[in-house]
Amino acid sequence: MTSVAGESAATQSQSWSALASRLTKLFSTLVLIIGAIAMIGPFVWIFSSSVRPYNEAFILPPQWIPDKWEFHNYQRLLEVNVVSMPVMFKNSLWIAGLVTAGMVMTSSLSGFAFACLRFRGKNIIFWLLLSSLMVPIQATIIPLFLQMRGLGLVDTHWAITLPGLLGAFAPGIAGVFGVFLMRQFFLTLPKDLIDAARIDGAGYGLVFWRIGLPLARPTMAALGIIVFATTWNDYFLPLVFFNSTSQMTLPVGILLLREPMNSGNATILAGVTLSILPVLIVFLLGQRWIVDSFIRAGVKG
Amino acid sequence: MQSTSKLSRSWLSNESQREAFTAYIFILPTVLGFLIFVLGPMISTFILSFTDYDLFSAPTFNGLENFERLFSDKRLGTVYRNTIVFMVFAVSGNVGGGLLLAVFLNQRLPNLLRVVLRSAYFFPSLIGLVFVSVIWQFLYHRNLGIINYYLGLIGIDPIRWLSSKQWVIPSIIILDVWKNVGFAMLICLAGLQNISSDYYDAAAVDGASAWQRFVRITLPLLSPTLFFVITMYSIGALKVFDSIVVLTNGGPGDASRSVVMYIHELGFKSFDMGYGSAVSLTLLALIAVFTLFQFRLSRIWVHYD
Repeated sequence: MTSVAGESAATQSQSWSALASRLTKLFSTLVLIIGAIAMIGPFVWIFSSSVRPYNEAFILPPQWIPDKWEFHNYQRLLEVNVVSMPVMFKNSLWIAGLVTAGMVMTSSLSGFAFACLRFRGKNIIFWLLLSSLMVPIQATIIPLFLQMRGLGLVDTHWAITLPGLLGAFAPGIAGVFGVFLMRQFFLTLPKDLIDAARIDGAGYGLVFWRIGLPLARPTMAALGIIVFATTWNDYFLPLVFFNSTSQMTLPVGILLLREPMNSGNATILAGVTLSILPVLIVFLLGQRWIVDSFIRAGVKG
Repeated sequence: MQSTSKLSRSWLSNESQREAFTAYIFILPTVLGFLIFVLGPMISTFILSFTDYDLFSAPTFNGLENFERLFSDKRLGTVYRNTIVFMVFAVSGNVGGGLLLAVFLNQRLPNLLRVVLRSAYFFPSLIGLVFVSVIWQFLYHRNLGIINYYLGLIGIDPIRWLSSKQWVIPSIIILDVWKNVGFAMLICLAGLQNISSDYYDAAAVDGASAWQRFVRITLPLLSPTLFFVITMYSIGALKVFDSIVVLTNGGPGDASRSVVMYIHELGFKSFDMGYGSAVSLTLLALIAVFTLFQFRLSRIWVHYD
């Protein structure tokens, strides 16, 4: 009799703890969903505010789904003459594209050399390069500016694309990040693969081109996405190097559209929405793949 | 016999020479870029910090004057205090929050829910800080911002998020955690997925509670990941610039000015290149000391298998 009572008490307490853990899980799921809404909320807000009629952008209580859609702000965006949206778009695209191409190329070459080839001074050079991870561009910006000024590159796109093409840095990340990422990948290549190709008489350049590069494509793409995004988003370098509006990229130029919030104009909201849109579209299309790329880079980098 | 070994050796040396030659060509652009655009400016920062240079007349050597000025510069103290307060709270929020999110998302969940939540938390990390700061400047607005509006609904008086000394730094921290917590989550999630479930099975047999499992298994096995995230986010936080420029431009007064903003001001508004370089040097030194310190500390708490 007692044993039965004990047993039922035990099952009861077990079911209690099961219920408690289920409740905590339910509760935390709820909290997380609310949190997720807070993460996305600001983007929904800017979109719906940007398409509201004139003078109603900042109406309270906020209309998350506007009942009247008007594209006044977008129209005005094309009319303002402070900055030209298409020019800024083109500048951003050109700079980010060139820097990405340069970084991916030079990082792959160096990464392959550091992972698969033997040469004198390999470790010292690698560690020296790695030390630049601790040198933020912001801390050497004054001499960097003077250097670019000496080269006559201030207020030209070269001030940013030249270091990018040489793989020195992309705005926002040290260049050696790419070298490190690619090296980590090439280290996973089986040595036999390279040796076999060597015995067949291929030179190292050919081995890199025929075997290394095709296999490295996913890692290169991951690096490319990260470099493109950080360059597209960067504010600091374009701010320092560009003076003319004709050279400006989106993050710098967009701030020139700021107007007092009570003026009723919300041109900048349209501008920011358009600047975010490409990233949003790319993200929605390749969500899983992009997340995986970042994980791959984050874990190895 | 001797001749073959000689032959093979010469073939080998030729071979390894060729290998080394290819390698040097491969790393040439990176090394060149590093020398010109990273190492060069670093050395110049050091040299410039002993000069007085306003960009318009030639630099003049002024000995240790800039370094003496560092010690009497009250604004430098303020910008460092702001930056370090920001760093401590932003890193704690990002890493702590990221870890919690990762632990939660690592549970058994409906797949769709997991993917949606993961994407929602990660998405802001992809968007430029300037763009989101513009959005948040509107959200934070005292009278017209929706944050104060919703707080008003639950009876909280409007907060002067961006114009009171007390709230500016918290506002910048909130924005930073909102933006960056998702990336920390992603890296922690990857780290969690590398932990073998055997540990948890064994712990379940021993009747360990969820908290015990977290403290005794998850944290130690995740410590290399956490160390990496903390180091990366700390260096990132010391560079804080964009969000503050957009939200408050350092104000009110210097209440939210960061070190990098100060360097930018000295170099490109006051054209005080020499002193600006000296301040840059302190930031470089701080990052170096801080990173070394973290590596030292990591020997105590980071657990590598």
